[in-house]
Amino acid sequence: VRIVIADDETLLREGLARLLADAGFDVVGKAGTAEELLRRVELARPDAAIVDIRMPPGQSEEGLVAAQAIRAAHPGVGVLVLSHYVESRYAMRLLEEHPERSGYLLKERVSDVAVLLDALRRIDEGECVLDPTIVSRLVGRPREASALDELTAREREVLALMAEGHSNDGICRLLFLSPKTVETHVRHILLKLGIGETADYHRRVLAVLAYLRG
Amino acid sequence: MRRWPIAVGVAALGLAAGIVTLGIARDDPAYWFAASSTVASAALLGAGLALVAGGIAAALRRPRNRAGPLLVAAGFAWFALEWNNPGIGSALAFTLGLAFYASCPPFALHAVFAYPGGRVGRAGTLALAGAYAAFAGLLGILPALFFDPRTAGCAACPDNLLLVADRGSLADDLTRAGLLLGFVAPLALAVLLVARVARSSTGTRPVLAAGALYAVLVPVWVGASGDNGYLANGSVERLAWLGQAGALIGLVLAGAWARWRARHTRAAVARLVVDLAASPPPGTLRDRLALIVGDPHLVLAYPLSDGGRLVDADGRPVALPAALERTTLVGDGRPVAVLGHAPRALDDEQLARDITEAARLALENERLQAEVRARLRELRASRARIVAAGDAERKRLERDLHDGAQQRLVGLSLALRLAVSRLDEKAAAELGEAERELRRASAELRELAHGIFPAVLADEGLAAAIEALAEDGRVPISAHRLPEARLDAAIETAAYSFVAEAARIATGRLTVSAELSGERLVLVVDADGLDGFDLEALEDRVGELDGRIHAERDGDAGLKLRAELPCGS
Repeated sequence: VRIVIADDETLLREGLARLLADAGFDVVGKAGTAEELLRRVELARPDAAIVDIRMPPGQSEEGLVAAQAIRAAHPGVGVLVLSHYVESRYAMRLLEEHPERSGYLLKERVSDVAVLLDALRRIDEGECVLDPTIVSRLVGRPREASALDELTAREREVLALMAEGHSNDGICRLLFLSPKTVETHVRHILLKLGIGETADYHRRVLAVLAYLRG
Repeated sequence: MRRWPIAVGVAALGLAAGIVTLGIARDDPAYWFAASSTVASAALLGAGLALVAGGIAAALRRPRNRAGPLLVAAGFAWFALEWNNPGIGSALAFTLGLAFYASCPPFALHAVFAYPGGRVGRAGTLALAGAYAAFAGLLGILPALFFDPRTAGCAACPDNLLLVADRGSLADDLTRAGLLLGFVAPLALAVLLVARVARSSTGTRPVLAAGALYAVLVPVWVGASGDNGYLANGSVERLAWLGQAGALIGLVLAGAWARWRARHTRAAVARLVVDLAASPPPGTLRDRLALIVGDPHLVLAYPLSDGGRLVDADGRPVALPAALERTTLVGDGRPVAVLGHAPRALDDEQLARDITEAARLALENERLQAEVRARLRELRASRARIVAAGDAERKRLERDLHDGAQQRLVGLSLALRLAVSRLDEKAAAELGEAERELRRASAELRELAHGIFPAVLADEGLAAAIEALAEDGRVPISAHRLPEARLDAAIETAAYSFVAEAARIATGRLTVSAELSGERLVLVVDADGLDGFDLEALEDRVGELDGRIHAERDGDAGLKLRAELPCGS
């Protein structure tokens, strides 16, 4: 899998490059600014780009804007945004527009190799990825009596994985359940939350997130 | 009290002189100026009596000012013009006529120069002296000493009591010289008076204007007679004389008007004293003073005790337009107020003093209030600056934590992770634990930075920040109708802090709604319960922006908080 890495911090950029190389990825470009990132993507046409959200000159959300631009211009290039921001709003700006091949992880995941590599692999397969911490905040946030209260513990687990962007197959693997069981859980969850069933995987992720954020 | 009998005597004398003079003139219409028509008769009597009456009034009002006696003298001299008429019959009256027939101009013009508030000045003194020398000396007393009417061919004339020697040609020469000087001197006075009219105040301008007109007509009169060698009663001279009568009547009337106006102003000041006793609402003082001064655009400003910066009654800084003239009202040796007014609207120093005296307490009171308001304004501004500086500092700190410390931690844990992959299993397990610890520290640092200042507030505004607050809150927070539009950063920060503080101490559900109506952002926070609610701490946050907080019990433990923030635009 061919990767472009964009981060203004050299130490991080190089470390990440080595980590990915060790894991068998092909790092085909590195960038320190959003502008440079767009150029590298244009040249190398990677399978995915890893983008730090804060980059020069403004150090606020240039990476997010660049990621959106990449997704809009190159449907075949996935993006994984690394961010300091745990608020779901930033992630939603990316996912709502282009849920396929888009991911949003918290910055500290760079050393959480399992999650990072899994995310890259899933993005490459066309899925969308949302950081587990952000999802657990959404699921666990205090709210008034709601349909969430009616879910069983297992169903809540499945719901969280759905919100993180996992497909049914992924959920099967992670929870060691049979596809049939997962399907039943998913159907129950959507029924209880009043979300219309949809065959489209991305529409399902967005509907679940919208419910959790509402 | 002794002045009244004198005044009555002079008035009676003046009336008698007027009637007698009219009689003489009517008896011998061929001579002199007055008797040719009813209009002329009226002019003779009107101007003379007006001067005498105006002089008496002026003398009674201001005994120490010379204008009164001078006007009376001018009035008698006006009549004396007809007394060197052969038909007068009395030697004394005839002699007075010979000596003073031309003396009205210096007396009248001297009175105009001596009019209250006016200074004669060096040029004026010189020109007046010239006028006296010409009209009273060269045309009057001096030739009278050498003029014998009988040898001059007037058999019917009474005796000249002043006659010293019969030197008719010398008398003629003196008269000729008088005509020359009598042309130049009043012309100089006219120029001085015209210059003075331009600089005069509303009250004195008509008086000076009438005086200037008179001063112009005198040389016309004298000049027309220049060829005769004596002051004749030709047609031009008669017209000039009629004009002078009009100017002199106008002069007296203008004086009366100025007097009436001053009295009216003073009455308004007196009413002000009475009204101010009932302590009028702030701001009305200016309107009253504008009425008294007669300038609707009057600006009333108060000097602050330190350095004298000017503020209005509300304590707002005032810049007096350069076009306005400034008059400082001084009480107890300190400036109490500054009036900005149309030029010359307040050049009566007495009026300024009267106003100060009448409105002293009210002015001082309003000045003190203005001072307090000005200080409050400064305090509020400085508090706003402090809060803004604090916000900026927190924003910077948040940024530094993210871009500095947290970035390092992430880099470090990444480096550790890379090292771990090259180690044997036991060491890898130990370092792996350290790496997970670092990752937790990084997450904690992120939370800390977020608590210091939510970047989402600066990035995306109030609605997004409150939405984020709901995600990590300890209590359910529901938000309605929050403005998606970006507001001023200070407003957003204050509004967010208000909600965040409520969320921090909330013990139950929190409902936040907002309404943006033109100039105000109204935030309403419905709390099921608050623990340790401190209204003052919240007020501190919005008070700097001139906002207000209102708290109201809602059920048992519930509280409805309402914050109003002015948005400026």
